[in-house]
Amino acid sequence: MRRILLIGLTLLPFLGMAQGFQVNLLGEKQIGMGHTGAALLQDGASVVFNPGAVAMLPQNYIQGGFSPLLFQSTFLADGSSQQVHNANKIATPFSGYAVWGPKQAPWKLGIGVYTPFGGLTDWGNTWQGRYALESLNLNAIYIQPTLSVKLASYLSIGAGFVYDIGNVDLTKAIPLASAGAADGQARLKGSGHGYGWNVGVYAKTEIGMTVGLTYRSQVDTKITAGNTTFTVPASLASSFPNGTFAASIPLPSTMTLGLGFYPTPKWTLAVDINYVDWKPYTSLDFTYSTTTSALQNTRSPRDYRDGFAFRGGAEYKATTKTALRFGGGYGISPVQDGYVTPEAPDANRYYVTAGLGLKVTTGLDLDMSFEYEHVNSRNQTNIESQLAGTFRTNVFIPGLGLVYHW
Amino acid sequence: MKNFKNYIYILAATAFFAACKPSIDTPNFNHGTADFTRYISVGNSLTSGYADGGLYLAGQQNSFPSMIATQMQAVGGGSFSQPLFSAAQSNGSGYIKLTGFDANGSPITAAVTTNLAYRDPTFFTKYTGNLENYGVPGIKLLHITLPYYGNLNPYFERLLPGVAPANTNTSYLSFITTKPFTFFTNWLGNNDALGYATGGGGGYTGADALTDKATFASLYNLLINSLTATGAKGACATIPDVTTIPYFTTVTPGLLLAGAQAAAQKAGVTPLPAAIYITASTNAAATTYGVRAATASDLVTLTFPTALLGKPTTDPVSGAVTNPYPYGLHPNNPIDSKYILDPNEVALVKDYVSSYNATIKSVAAAKGLAVFDAFTFLTNLKNNGLTVNGVNLTSGYISGGVFSLDGVHLTPRGYAIVANEFIKAINSQYSANVPQVNVANYNGVVFP
Repeated sequence: MRRILLIGLTLLPFLGMAQGFQVNLLGEKQIGMGHTGAALLQDGASVVFNPGAVAMLPQNYIQGGFSPLLFQSTFLADGSSQQVHNANKIATPFSGYAVWGPKQAPWKLGIGVYTPFGGLTDWGNTWQGRYALESLNLNAIYIQPTLSVKLASYLSIGAGFVYDIGNVDLTKAIPLASAGAADGQARLKGSGHGYGWNVGVYAKTEIGMTVGLTYRSQVDTKITAGNTTFTVPASLASSFPNGTFAASIPLPSTMTLGLGFYPTPKWTLAVDINYVDWKPYTSLDFTYSTTTSALQNTRSPRDYRDGFAFRGGAEYKATTKTALRFGGGYGISPVQDGYVTPEAPDANRYYVTAGLGLKVTTGLDLDMSFEYEHVNSRNQTNIESQLAGTFRTNVFIPGLGLVYHW
Repeated sequence: MKNFKNYIYILAATAFFAACKPSIDTPNFNHGTADFTRYISVGNSLTSGYADGGLYLAGQQNSFPSMIATQMQAVGGGSFSQPLFSAAQSNGSGYIKLTGFDANGSPITAAVTTNLAYRDPTFFTKYTGNLENYGVPGIKLLHITLPYYGNLNPYFERLLPGVAPANTNTSYLSFITTKPFTFFTNWLGNNDALGYATGGGGGYTGADALTDKATFASLYNLLINSLTATGAKGACATIPDVTTIPYFTTVTPGLLLAGAQAAAQKAGVTPLPAAIYITASTNAAATTYGVRAATASDLVTLTFPTALLGKPTTDPVSGAVTNPYPYGLHPNNPIDSKYILDPNEVALVKDYVSSYNATIKSVAAAKGLAVFDAFTFLTNLKNNGLTVNGVNLTSGYISGGVFSLDGVHLTPRGYAIVANEFIKAINSQYSANVPQVNVANYNGVVFP
């Protein structure tokens, strides 16, 4: 028990940080296998990968993982030779799960705490896009209690309730120069919450293949009273009163179909198709408690479309104590042409992953993962800001997880 | 402790990857068929970097030709010298700065009168160094062949080796063509129409005149023939519609009347003023003038002294009342013609500008020169605004971000946008790829 507490405490410093607007870093074994897992019974991460599979898990679990993530983006303005790099800031998506049920009982309870959405980017206050964005730290922490029931030896279902804590901290420059020629600054910082749910079905087929189907609902996260801090030349201070702002963001629903194959006892193969319904994210609106002729409520069009990801992964049990994992995938960006912003310089992307699982003792797994993600370079002129140029992004994500099971 | 060691490894690995920033292939910048070895800029105040009602060092440093020249240096351009004021005389001719806003939100400005660059009441301290920016505030196309023009324009005299009044017989045209050059930008001609317009058109002694259209065409041909005589290539700009600048769009008869009525109400005066009375032309040729009530079609200059509105007119020297009727609010004491560009005058200026621009475009086309159509660009800015790098710009006074405090000349940000428009025209005409100016590096109006 002391060990369990220790694991929990180790994770604490990483709470509250996340990266990449959608963050698929939900379990170290699953990351190693290219983020597949809807049709697998790997560990407690089934709480999020497929609540329907939780009841089929062979043991009880308590586990945690984190993935310090380095998001490296470069921008080259059209007609310029000056490349702009975002600052090296390490975001730390994390996940923690607990799954428990009496041996032989047809049900299990689970709880998950994870960060499926977030973003951390800092372009600094001198680049040409600073009036669109200087820095953004956005994260959503989902807390999900879950119940899963085995209906038959080959079929189980599950559902979870999601409580989301969302935080946003955004800064941008205001094009008002003072005598020192410095720009004005706006900072919007606040937190909010939202609710959602998820469901899943898991089935073992007669040919040995496993199937998982899950749905995570949209979670409308509302910030009702975030703080605004405006720094402008003194003569204009009355036009930019500090107060509060309201904003909301629909964190999209996702649907996943997963298949698992077991050609030999040493090999596990998985594919997942992931569909993200980003369509409700039509605009990012900020409503201020006090508006003036210079400070108006804003409505920035986003008009996201659906996103898809195709994932594949494999696990090879090299010895009784070690497992080698690898995988990869391709994601189709929800950001349409003309709507690419520095907050999410998004494009279609591919990624490759690798993982190593070690059985430290019979009850403790140590999982390591590494992911390299390449976001295709994309030349865009944003409709709203007219910021024109090319973004190119690489993401490096090492990860580490501990799973205690009994 | 074992876990802790793993974290260290992970952090070390992350630091390693931090060094691998993605890079994007930069486009192939080149000078195309143009040669930027020595680029000179020909023009008036806009070319010199004039802003906020004056020419001063900071404005010169943010002139659009110097921005273009800096970009050209990436593709073989040479050095570009400007007649910069010295640091000790950095405020040059003096200028106005914003000091705040009054209770109504109207801007309050103050004149900067220290560290000026005058050697006597008329003329400036001479500039003797290399020269590529030949922008001379106030110059018209009409003036380019005048000998002794330096006696009339201290900004030109400042650049000449000789001293007024005896030794300034060099004309502007011969001055700029003395030394060989390979490329030029030319934005002359604005003042041939703008001088008349900013002075409120005609109708008073000392009013400026519009340059004759045929004279304009002949001088423009002469200018371009001289500039291209040795094979230099270049870019010309058209003349903006004067009614697009905040100098004419900020103060309106409606605002003046509302202000006068509010003042009357506050003072308990009845009846409230019913109209603003102006001196305006009565015929289409704008040759005869009379008094009438102003309409929304009358343009009031930004220089109109609103403090005088509604007060009896006094002699500026003796202080004696010369007209007892409230200024501008009574037909017997109308606003002077010099503050009003009436619809007849507007039509006249538009007609001349349109003729000048037809000349500019046809001469440039005949010589294969690039053209920056400032007329179209600033008309679009007025009608639709412009967004650059997330900044919404308009042709509004102060808030618009493009025009400086004089309502005619541009802010550094405005000049950067103009530099990019020139570069686009040059790139397109000469199959070149000169990089663009980073507009975000330049500010709009400076606020206290």
